[in-house]
Amino acid sequence: MIRASSWSPFGRQSAPPHIPVVVYGTRWCAATQLVRRHLERLGVPYEYVDLEQDPAAVAQLRWWTGGFSSHPTVYVGGEVLVEPPSPS
Amino acid sequence: MQTNTSQPSQEELYPRRLHDLEQRFGTLFKELTDSPQKEALSVLHGMMLEMWRQLRRSSSPLSERGLTIDDIADLYRHAPKMEGERRNTPLAPGTLAPDFALPDASGHIVRLAEYRGRPTVLVFYPLDWSPGCSQQLDLYQQELDEFERRDARIVGISVDSVYSHGAWAAVRGIRFPLLADFNPKGQVARQYHVYRDDDGFSERALYVLDERGIIRYSHVSPFLHHVPDIYELFAALDGLRSKAPEAAGVAK
Repeated sequence: MIRASSWSPFGRQSAPPHIPVVVYGTRWCAATQLVRRHLERLGVPYEYVDLEQDPAAVAQLRWWTGGFSSHPTVYVGGEVLVEPPSPS
Repeated sequence: MQTNTSQPSQEELYPRRLHDLEQRFGTLFKELTDSPQKEALSVLHGMMLEMWRQLRRSSSPLSERGLTIDDIADLYRHAPKMEGERRNTPLAPGTLAPDFALPDASGHIVRLAEYRGRPTVLVFYPLDWSPGCSQQLDLYQQELDEFERRDARIVGISVDSVYSHGAWAAVRGIRFPLLADFNPKGQVARQYHVYRDDDGFSERALYVLDERGIIRYSHVSPFLHHVPDIYELFAALDGLRSKAPEAAGVAK
């Protein structure tokens, strides 16, 4: 897993999401489904962004992850977790 | 078991992801003309490499700390990819699911007919230990209570042997049955129209059977690395109580 910050030394690259947890992924990615279901089981509200439906989100992700649209990527209050370990 | 105590592998020396970024940096860097900016970038690159070297010195390599169960469970992360396109069309909803008898990891013969009376999810997956399958079955293990809440059984089926199933289930903590479609190889997968002849393993496919053994939902992933949508699977199970058989569809 890679941790990155959405903050850049040259200023914030985008407006912060209103919801503190955002999951970027695809419907067919098992790790995305594991993370989403884990959050739901914990009762943690989150926003889900389907990367196949949202080109702008893909561009944001490429900036965060060094050119890859890695999924899942989870935004948690300013910290970006790229392909975090399975919840189990 | 012998563990390798010689030199660390290339992957341990330099993770693939870092390697890929490095390759990309190198390609872009060649396009820059000589300038102070280019020199600054090269300094940054040098800083990154030095940081990586420092990190390696501060953590014990795998060969020194010994192999753990988690290391084995995570082997799929570095395994060859499996990304072929779908080759088969599944049996249609409304069809009586072909009966079968296959051994589980303990050698106990499981007959599909014994599962009548409750909804059943048949999970055909390509191979134990492989990338998509590991996380797909982790997902179902995580959601076992959701299947139980819907009074549904779930079983995995692949062409692996009972011994492979046993080891894989133990390492991953999988507690639902894994059936060995091993001999004749893939016979049950063929009965369900999900065997990939050229590959020697099955499609990544799901069948939802009602309590009478009638197929009510079928799905073959369009690509082997695509794991079926768990929300769609739950919806198919929820639909068993509210929909007539002909209302269910084939999902592709």
